[in-house]
Amino acid sequence: MIRKPLLAACAAGLLALTAACSGGGGAGGEGDETALTYLVFETPSLTAKFWDDSIAAAQAEVPGAKINKIVAPSTDRDAYAKQLQQSGQFPDLLQSITPSNFVGAGLLKPYDKTWIDANFLLPSANTLKGEVYIPPTNSQIVPQVYYNKELFTKAGITAAPKNWAEFLDACAKLKASGVTPIELGGADPFAASMPLVGIVSADILGKNKNWLQDRYADKVKFADANVVTAVQKYRTLVGNGYFDKGALGVKYADSITRFTGGKSAMYPMGSWFLGSVPKENADNFGSFPWPTDDGSVVVPFVGGGSMAISAKAEDSAMAENFGRAWSLNPANLKALIETDGAFPMIKGKTLDDYGVTVSQVFKDSYAYVGQDNNKVNAIGWATNDDALPPGLNDAFYASAQALFSGDDVAGEMKKLDEAWKTATQ
Amino acid sequence: MPGTRRRRRETPDRGLALLAALALGLYLVFLVLPLLLSLRSSFTNENPLRATNDFVGLRNYTEMVGDEQLRASLKVTLLLAFGVTIAANAIGVGFAILLNRTNLSYRVMRTVAFLPQVLSGVIVGFVWQTILTQNGVLNTALLKIGVLDEPYPWLGSPNAALFSIGVVVAWVLSGFTTVVYLAALQSIPLELHDMASLDGVRGTQRFRMVTWPMIAPGTTISVTISLITVLKLYDIIAVLTAGGPANSTQSTALYIVKLAFTSDRVGYASAVAMLLLALSALVALTVTGALRRREVSL
Repeated sequence: MIRKPLLAACAAGLLALTAACSGGGGAGGEGDETALTYLVFETPSLTAKFWDDSIAAAQAEVPGAKINKIVAPSTDRDAYAKQLQQSGQFPDLLQSITPSNFVGAGLLKPYDKTWIDANFLLPSANTLKGEVYIPPTNSQIVPQVYYNKELFTKAGITAAPKNWAEFLDACAKLKASGVTPIELGGADPFAASMPLVGIVSADILGKNKNWLQDRYADKVKFADANVVTAVQKYRTLVGNGYFDKGALGVKYADSITRFTGGKSAMYPMGSWFLGSVPKENADNFGSFPWPTDDGSVVVPFVGGGSMAISAKAEDSAMAENFGRAWSLNPANLKALIETDGAFPMIKGKTLDDYGVTVSQVFKDSYAYVGQDNNKVNAIGWATNDDALPPGLNDAFYASAQALFSGDDVAGEMKKLDEAWKTATQ
Repeated sequence: MPGTRRRRRETPDRGLALLAALALGLYLVFLVLPLLLSLRSSFTNENPLRATNDFVGLRNYTEMVGDEQLRASLKVTLLLAFGVTIAANAIGVGFAILLNRTNLSYRVMRTVAFLPQVLSGVIVGFVWQTILTQNGVLNTALLKIGVLDEPYPWLGSPNAALFSIGVVVAWVLSGFTTVVYLAALQSIPLELHDMASLDGVRGTQRFRMVTWPMIAPGTTISVTISLITVLKLYDIIAVLTAGGPANSTQSTALYIVKLAFTSDRVGYASAVAMLLLALSALVALTVTGALRRREVSL
């Protein structure tokens, strides 16, 4: 007796499943509305409310647009976008992805250059093969070295180090005073690589801005003597005990707590750390660029930005209008400046125009963006022509972790060259 | 009337056939078809972000020979598979003997013992992360009671991280192995124990001569499923260490996902997946065969 209802239920279930699958496309909507899918990611700073509010505000400026938010399961937007592409669900709008991963397949539509030139301070910051796929609304410095002024004073250090020798001297004094000189959230691969990003950006890219293009052209290699010598500096820091011995077990979130809690004195990190500086004693923190041998200032710069547009979006003009409205909304930038340490790059606006409250260390760090200095594309973080080939970031992170516990610098650099060869074949 | 009887007989048969067809259809669509697609992909240079994907013959398979990361990941996978299987089964047998009682408190404890098995691997990973990180619960406790002078990098050094993952996975699997061995223990006729008692066989001797041989079928199931589970381990490692530090805990399953979705090398990732499938089948068949022969000999 029970079999017929059971079969009926199975059939109904299958029909419902079929209907759900066939109705799962991104386009379509109610009435005259056009539905656009928008891939975002959430962090403690960029909450669900931030995205909902920012979407509602931009939607109000684009009549007929209905945004369906897709939240990436982790902060790795690129990997999730690739999974969505594999399953035929590539979003219409994609927040803060690496365009170089997708442009080769013709998946992205560039923004109108006239609009980019008219609205942004560094219109070419995100240029990839002559086109701009992400409006350069903001920028980051990756890394800067943040330091605890009180711990510096206690260790007898009177000023922030200006060159490599002074940096080593500061490390030695801090260690002697019983403080861990440098914080490292080594359990998270990207955070583990920060000192290496600083060293390679300052010592190699600082002397040859085209080094990454030369690497693509096979004119230089990671195993070259100058790179090996530079990376050896990281081993010096590890060998001298300037990091916590168990740093590879420290999560990125814990590394912030340890540094802001005074357990360590310096913290090489992307300028998004500025959003985590405790407000109650923000004046206790300062910053300086990763030190070079001769004391020249090199700024590892990353042109950040908002969203890319899918070339396959049903209404790509509407998608671009939404992207423009979102990118120029000062309220979005306000949140990014205050919580994510983003340096705003919209033309004709000063920090005051965003109505933000920022610390002195933020202002000092932001000053490097406006100054005429040696800006280079931070290795592993650039999203323009200097972006690394797919998979190289992981190899770079793994090398950084390996060099924490082993001293085969030449061997690790050779591995990077091999990974590069495989990735670019 | 005879016609009616015939119709009644036919209806259930048709219903069963439909259900079987449904099950077979699902099996074909969700298991066999992806497997065949993956096999096909393993002979191409498929890249999700490239318009054309070409047939490359056996190139992906020959590339595996010189792939150091693959070799390292296989070593990690096999070490974990055999280490965890031995540990989880030893714990399972021990717990099963302890919990082989019938009163309420033991029944409650059995449920508690099974708990790790029902938790999602991701949740298990996050829970153990709070325990094992540098500032985690374990280091805090050990520092407080004076066992350690400084925090120990449970997840921060290659060997310790691999050991830590092994402990976590063994903990998860021990829930399953305990239940299997408990069922096996309860299937042993009481008369056998009575006879052993009459013969003066007690303690470890009774375990060796009565219990161990009688739970052999349970051992076969438990060992085989433990091995297969660990050979395809992904979630717990992804959350606990993401394969680090420096790829020292990268399992082959994790490597496959990274190849496909970070390096965009779906073709090569498919070839590695085929290797893992073959390896899993080989290990499972060999171990099952050996354990079955042992069951007969006992």
